[in-house]
Amino acid sequence: MEPIIVFDNVHYTYPGDELESLCGVSLSIEKGSFVAVLGHNGSGKSTLAKHMNAILVPNEGRVLINGVDTADEARILDVRSRVGMVFQNPDNQIVANVVEEDVAFAPENLGLEPAEIRRRVDASLRLVDMYEHRLHAPHLLSGGQKQRVAIAGVIAMQPEIIVLDEPTAMLDPQGRQEVVNTAYALCRAKGMTVVYITHHMDECIDADRLIVMSNGSIAADGKPAEVFTDYALMEREGLDIPETARLLRELREAGMELDGEPLSVNACADLIAKAIKSERSRK
Amino acid sequence: MLKDITLGQYFPGDTIIHRLDARTKIILVVIYIVALFQAKGWIGYAVVTGATLLCMTLSKIKPSAMFKGVKPMLVIIVLTAALNIFYTQGTPIRPGWIITWEGIARAVQMVLRIVLLISGTFLLTYTTSPIDLTDGLELLLNPLKKIGVPVHEMTMMMSMALRFIPTLIQETDKIMSAQKARGADFETGSLAQRAKALLPILVPLFVSAFKRADELAVAMESRCYHGGEGRTRMKQIKMCTRDYIALALGFAFLALMIALKRLGL
Repeated sequence: MEPIIVFDNVHYTYPGDELESLCGVSLSIEKGSFVAVLGHNGSGKSTLAKHMNAILVPNEGRVLINGVDTADEARILDVRSRVGMVFQNPDNQIVANVVEEDVAFAPENLGLEPAEIRRRVDASLRLVDMYEHRLHAPHLLSGGQKQRVAIAGVIAMQPEIIVLDEPTAMLDPQGRQEVVNTAYALCRAKGMTVVYITHHMDECIDADRLIVMSNGSIAADGKPAEVFTDYALMEREGLDIPETARLLRELREAGMELDGEPLSVNACADLIAKAIKSERSRK
Repeated sequence: MLKDITLGQYFPGDTIIHRLDARTKIILVVIYIVALFQAKGWIGYAVVTGATLLCMTLSKIKPSAMFKGVKPMLVIIVLTAALNIFYTQGTPIRPGWIITWEGIARAVQMVLRIVLLISGTFLLTYTTSPIDLTDGLELLLNPLKKIGVPVHEMTMMMSMALRFIPTLIQETDKIMSAQKARGADFETGSLAQRAKALLPILVPLFVSAFKRADELAVAMESRCYHGGEGRTRMKQIKMCTRDYIALALGFAFLALMIALKRLGL
């Protein structure tokens, strides 16, 4: 698979800070994959996200989006229309007082034809399942609905990549589930590349790849099952292990024979059931 | 207590007044204000009052809603009436009184003028959604761009402010509850004390408003916002026949009012 996002030895220090927020990050993300980024506060995961659509530009090193250098001022709109960003607080990214007007904001900025904008707005709202609410006022929606409107506003640009920076941090459990499902659907059904930044472990379980950030560099990078079972690393980074992985670990320590590392609740339950059955039949 | 702010309130509807283009309505309001100040005699006032009542009936806005708009101005209206009644020279209504027939007539006319001015302009915000209003304003002021007036930026700020009013009201409510929970008292004490009690609300409100503004700017930039240049709009607004008819009627009304003034009626 071809890489769509490439970080080449990126260093970044916020103006006025002494410590580097990113110290030499190199990574490449494949087209169409779902990449989750984990890390506690101040680990540099938001800084990493902001480099992906040229809100921040590296002090040293470079970031390539589809081969375009984000430091190239002349192509900044090109980069930003390819990479959609969704932020933590849904209230602070909705600009208009009618849902559909807000979704139209980005295509309007790109100077598209009114008929094309209309088409994209309707399509994006349908995609996030908010079409029925298109004439509502955003402040009357729930948190999860607002965040889905924000996602629709980004999809209307028809980006290839969508970066979600802790989109569920301010939502209730139901809103969280809505947003997580939407994010996965964008990748699995629409083939978009999704970079999903979070500190909720359970939201990363189904990702293709999991990156753990720590003090401005990459602490771990691999399949979620591999990363979550690196218990020493998880402990060192102060990260919780998903419930399923913890259960499997404790069962193994208690002497149960279990093959594989399923992270979803159902797969984990199946595995344990199978192990119990085989143990019984042996007896 | 914060729920009943009428600023920029809009009553959705589907009447002929609602369907008029926002630009037409803005121009008509300007014409209306000019015409209102042409009224000199009783006939003039009768014509303006009639026209205003006609528009209100057409817009199907409830009279109680109109009264709500006038209510905050009640003090000024009463004061104006009193000053006019007591300080106009003329024939006293009874020998020896300072109240004159001319004074009463002046007072009635002035009160009528203020009430008509408020209700006429409120009819605009009552029947036009904020977004249509700012869009109409931007299109109307577009020619000023040539002389360097930042029209797009101004209307963008206006619509943004309207967008954030409910959000900031919710936030204020939340901060007030948090302060009350810790024993703050906003309801009792002298005016000065109550004003002072508001300070702990304003400081966090401003801090969070600035933070919001900062995040909003980043979010807008990442959605390719780069000013008004090269920007298109999803909704194209067009003037149609009824707008031209309304404008023609507006100008005819103004001409009538000027004629009446010339005739001294």
